[in-house]
Amino acid sequence: MPALFRPTATPRARRALIGAVVVALLVPVALMAWVRTPWARGIHVVVQQPVPFSHPLHAGTLRIDCRFCHSEVEWSAHAGMPPTDRCVTCHTPAWQSTAALAPVRASLVSSAPIPWRRVTQLPQFVYFNHAMHVRNGVGCETCHGNVTRMQTVHQVAPLTMTWCVTCHRNPEPSLRPQAEITATGWSPLTLSAAARRTMLAEYNVHHYTNCSTCHR
Amino acid sequence: MPPLNDAALTQIAAEMSRRDFARLLGASIALAGATGCVREPSDRVFPYIHTPAAGAGGELHYATAMTLDGYATGLLVRSVDGRPVKVEGNPSHPASRGASSALHQASLLQLYDPERAHQPLLRGRDITWDATVANFSLTRLRDGAGARGAGLLLLMDPTSSPLTVALLDRLQSALPDATVHFHHATENGSAVAASRAAFGAPLLPQPDFTQAVAVVALGDDPFAVGPWHLRQARDFGERRRAGHPVSLHVAETTPSSTSSLTPHRLAVAPALLANTALALLQTVASRLGSNTVQLAPVSLATDAAAWVDSAATALIAHRGHALVTAGPQQPESVHLVAMALNHLLDNLGTAIQYRASPIREAGAPSHDAATLRDALAGNGIRTVLITATNPAYTLPADVLLAQQLAKVQQSLYLGEYLDETARQTQHFAPRAHYLESWGVERAWDGTESPVQPLLTPMWGGHTVDELLASLLGDQRTGRGLLQALYPTATTDDALREGIVTGSTSPVLTPAFRWGALASLAPAPLPAAGQLTLIFPPGNGVHDGRFAGNAWLQELPDPITKLTWDNALLLAPATAARLAVASMDMVRVARDDQHIDVPVLITPGHADDAGSLALGYGRRGPGILENGIGVDTAPLRTEASPFQLAGVTLTRLNRQHPLALTQEHWSIEQRAGDILKGPPVPVPDSGLYRATPPGHDGFSADQWAMTIDLNLCTGCSACVVACQAENNIPVVGKRGVMNSREMHWIRLGRYLDADPATGGVVSQPMLCQHCENAPCEYVCPVNATVHSDDGLNEMVYNRCVGTRFCSNNCPYKVRRFNWLDYHGEMTPVDELINNPDVTVRARGVMEKCTFCVQRIRGAQERSQLAGDATTGPVVTACQQACPTGAIIFGSLTNPADAVVDSFADPRGFAALAKLNTRPRVHYLARDAAS
Repeated sequence: MPALFRPTATPRARRALIGAVVVALLVPVALMAWVRTPWARGIHVVVQQPVPFSHPLHAGTLRIDCRFCHSEVEWSAHAGMPPTDRCVTCHTPAWQSTAALAPVRASLVSSAPIPWRRVTQLPQFVYFNHAMHVRNGVGCETCHGNVTRMQTVHQVAPLTMTWCVTCHRNPEPSLRPQAEITATGWSPLTLSAAARRTMLAEYNVHHYTNCSTCHR
Repeated sequence: MPPLNDAALTQIAAEMSRRDFARLLGASIALAGATGCVREPSDRVFPYIHTPAAGAGGELHYATAMTLDGYATGLLVRSVDGRPVKVEGNPSHPASRGASSALHQASLLQLYDPERAHQPLLRGRDITWDATVANFSLTRLRDGAGARGAGLLLLMDPTSSPLTVALLDRLQSALPDATVHFHHATENGSAVAASRAAFGAPLLPQPDFTQAVAVVALGDDPFAVGPWHLRQARDFGERRRAGHPVSLHVAETTPSSTSSLTPHRLAVAPALLANTALALLQTVASRLGSNTVQLAPVSLATDAAAWVDSAATALIAHRGHALVTAGPQQPESVHLVAMALNHLLDNLGTAIQYRASPIREAGAPSHDAATLRDALAGNGIRTVLITATNPAYTLPADVLLAQQLAKVQQSLYLGEYLDETARQTQHFAPRAHYLESWGVERAWDGTESPVQPLLTPMWGGHTVDELLASLLGDQRTGRGLLQALYPTATTDDALREGIVTGSTSPVLTPAFRWGALASLAPAPLPAAGQLTLIFPPGNGVHDGRFAGNAWLQELPDPITKLTWDNALLLAPATAARLAVASMDMVRVARDDQHIDVPVLITPGHADDAGSLALGYGRRGPGILENGIGVDTAPLRTEASPFQLAGVTLTRLNRQHPLALTQEHWSIEQRAGDILKGPPVPVPDSGLYRATPPGHDGFSADQWAMTIDLNLCTGCSACVVACQAENNIPVVGKRGVMNSREMHWIRLGRYLDADPATGGVVSQPMLCQHCENAPCEYVCPVNATVHSDDGLNEMVYNRCVGTRFCSNNCPYKVRRFNWLDYHGEMTPVDELINNPDVTVRARGVMEKCTFCVQRIRGAQERSQLAGDATTGPVVTACQQACPTGAIIFGSLTNPADAVVDSFADPRGFAALAKLNTRPRVHYLARDAAS
């Protein structure tokens, strides 16, 4: 009777067993690593908007303050998107006939809102309050990046809980004075350590790390 | 409104074989893994077109009013991004004073009910609103119903609205011979009839519980039923909280919320109740030496005589500050007795006042069902317009509305649903919900209360006022009609405040016609062995109009704890004599009519009597109300719609399961400890360590709650308020029978050891936010943890559903999402969700959070305003509670009332011996109260 197994069968079986164990260990590790990568977090994903709005032009070249359009950011949980009539405030009559503004004109004529796409999206079980951050020294740029360099705005922060909690545990390095709150290209590290500590005391910022601070 | 559809579940279960199920299970697991790899498309963000005057974003509160049975209650409705999400009482409104009932809270669910009618119909075919009203224009009405409108019948709900009244006047001057009839589904007008006999005018008694020291309620539930009950409960709570004594005496057939507050309670059958009232009048009159009351002597049983003696003593001792009330369904004689007693005892101007009834033609024949029956039976009526709420269901069967509607030439029904009445009329038009309506209504004391919409009608509904105006050729909308009624400045103020200042009816001081008492005579008692049935409005469903409302169907009755059904309530002694047990089906028969109902034995119920709630057994448009409970219409007659003597009961050989919640969440042998007892000192050795987990001092606040059992009537407004605030799902009858109800507040009902007394204590049991929380020790994933301001937090996104926490909770207040209760919500259903609270998925544990969203919201507002301390936090249950039994605040803020109440000698912590150190304290019932 011929041999049922060839001589190579035993080492093969050993390799297969070891391989199975390695794969079983590596797969969860790889998955956990994957969700932390910029690709999985959606960083740099280009979100196509209905209007080709340019932040570099408006916020950069023209130096319009963020709060002109996102006007609820200092008193509401939401930063707010500009009503159509705010676009038209400036865009009448200048640039009225450009093709880029067609959706704005259509919105005004048909009384249908412009369907913007959200770029920085938190899960539904996370409650974030813009006003609490902006009024307490966390600038727009800290989370949204320097939008004056983004022709189409994309997400820059990983939006993981680790990322949130790092700052909640130690807010000091991220705080700015109110004068610089909407500034771009400004780093809190330009301040001295003493100045940052003074600012922390003035803002009276606490370490809000209760779960219900964000999860309700 | 069906988040859970039992019928559909059964169907799925029946159609799916075991193999199919396994296949589907495998596929789901495989696909569940795959979904994690796909990025969800980003949300859309819709800005405004024009910047709104009130500012973009955020939330707004609007004052409006909800009308029930013709009387308004002022409300404040919270609107977020243009959709109403929560109803609260309006603190400026006299009928509310900031409180709200379960019906007000749940009215929001009706707004988003997908089963509301969407489309005007003519014999089942789509038609436009304009074409509908064109068919009922004045010209057409004159053609069809005669030049003076003699052939027209308009059937309406009782109305107090100045706007509706003005339109009715215009209609009646155009068609002077038209019949306008008002139908009241839960009252028979006996109170107004008694007032006509006693004072010669339709007056309404206005009790003032801030002044009443001795109160006697005759078949009345002044703190839980009726259009003025919120105010009465508020006033009573205010008085008791201030430490002023109130003695309560209640004689009644069915145990009620009010009587649960007092040991001076008498359970009597309806006929005996009238006699007891007479005896009370006699006793008081003779002790006062008054010779104005000459009555034949009444003989009473021992217990009734003792109650009368005790009640008379209390009334006379507090003469001038005593109060006697009579229930809306009591016969005229009981109302007369109450009015006579209040006059004898000089209570006018202190504990009671009289005002003219704000209802149009109150007490006139146009409110009498007999008039309606005769009008319909005659051959003169050719056109019928119905704006009353579903009269084909609520009218007693012998009015024969449906049969007569089939004979008329033209009929129209303006209703919110395609219900029983809509099926009988040729024309149907959808009616606007009150949150979509413009109008003005009057409260019990006559205060004019504007109704303003929070959104345009979702399904193109119209109001009664708009219909009446359209008939008259007036094309103005409700808003235009309202603005024409008042000057602009008045309208603006009234819309902001929710009341028209100075519109309250004047207080009258009527003289009592003692001759009216001559008609009083002892009622004949029914023969032995015969039962008398009464038909009170159903808890939650009222007259049936809320039968499609899942929140109210699943709300346990305050006393019986019954959900999703009505049942014949019988005293234990009656049931024993008839050899029936709870859930046995019985046939209730009188003459040739009968209905089959399940029995529910209710300790504290009067012997030789039964109670069967109205509002069930609907044959409505939706899946919810159909097949739930039993319709009482076959037994009820127009002559005696709410009481039926001489019925016979036959036991049937079948059973009907009832979904009762009291035995759920059993805490084993600990009931004695959970309810009352002296304050227990914190033991040295407990199950958990003696010192609470360290508070690291970050937070200035330490949240805590006190619940005063002296004030809790068990009315359950808190339960529904919590449900609305916290996106709590319903589970359906089968779910309740499996102990899966999701209410975060369990209103425990504890009975006296002696079932005959019917003594009841209600105790709201919610998460106690223990400082040494047993649940926190056993969670393997840290999904329930303690915050530094004393909250036991539940992190839904961490929860994996082991249910260890629920197992280890001695109070049994944690609720588990066994099924995906929110999964079937349509985009319209979802509009009701509070955006500040996470909607929980299947497999997640949840429980009371102390309304953490309101706490964090208040902290954020305070910090943004630069305040050093957190502004007042009011939880949803506290806000709704009519008697103000719930106190909430921070133990570190000396200004908060909760600090004092924690030091109250009546205070105790439930199951204190376990050393869980709850942050909820109860104030025990006074033995004397």
